[in-house]
Amino acid sequence: MDIVLRAALAFAFIFFLTRIVGRRELSSLEPFDLILLIVLGDLVQQGVTQSDYSVTGLILAAGTIAMMQAGVSYLNFRFKRVRTVLDGEPIVLIEDGRALARNVHRERLTRHELEEQARLSQIDSLDKVRWAVLETSGQISFIPKQ
Amino acid sequence: MADQPDGIVLARHRDLKGRGWHPWLRRALVGLVALVLVVALFGFVGQSTSTTRAETATATLSVDSPDAVRGGLLYQTRFTIMAHQELQHATLVLNENWIDGLTVNTIEPSPVNEASRDGDLALELGHLAAGTKYVLFMDYQVNPTTVGSRTLELELDDGEQPIASLTRSLRIWP
Repeated sequence: MDIVLRAALAFAFIFFLTRIVGRRELSSLEPFDLILLIVLGDLVQQGVTQSDYSVTGLILAAGTIAMMQAGVSYLNFRFKRVRTVLDGEPIVLIEDGRALARNVHRERLTRHELEEQARLSQIDSLDKVRWAVLETSGQISFIPKQ
Repeated sequence: MADQPDGIVLARHRDLKGRGWHPWLRRALVGLVALVLVVALFGFVGQSTSTTRAETATATLSVDSPDAVRGGLLYQTRFTIMAHQELQHATLVLNENWIDGLTVNTIEPSPVNEASRDGDLALELGHLAAGTKYVLFMDYQVNPTTVGSRTLELELDDGEQPIASLTRSLRIWP
């Protein structure tokens, strides 16, 4: 029983952390982030399975996490208010080539980062952006001016 | 001109109407996590040790051990007996909470004898001359499923005669 509870708690805590840490911090996967991800995975595994090396333990832990994920996914699909809480909401960063300082600051983004993301979307100047939206995934979508 | 992308509500997603408190909630939750870490730095969730002592005319008994441990953790408890007078059959009597749900990896030096005394664990240490010091180490590992608080009772006897006793608590975090 305890392995199911530990897996559920680990899922909830990681989910909670990803919500409070900030979207931008989680959307990029630079070398350091990749290493951090592996280390985090190892730490979580130890807390969940501890010294249980059995296949039963693996099934219980992996099954619990899969069920939790399916549950969250269903809640997201079924209830809009829950979706807002679990996923967050998009935020407009640029309108008509003008960065919205309040929103950009709120997401701890710099102009340099905005320009970099725009370049990745084949946009060479923020002046050419009609809308830029920080999506709930942490990605920035750019809609160029016509 | 309502030319914003589909799914974007300007009041909500551009002007952040009704979302002003969100960053404060996020900061508060980050602060909460940080608070847990600070509390951990002060040893609240293990495993800094503390000393408990009982002193009588015959002997001084002291225990150095963590007050809080976590599942799976390896830790050590050190029992020190300072005999002020001769003890013919020094015996440490530990209540079951010293053992239950914990794995005892080793006891050094090995007691002369181990026995159950009315459900408690009696470790017979043998003869202690006046003025001698006896140190006993017990190395533990917490069983991963063991959690909760417990009271640890310890008694130093000479044979069946109680000499000194003390009580500690141990909190086991999951």
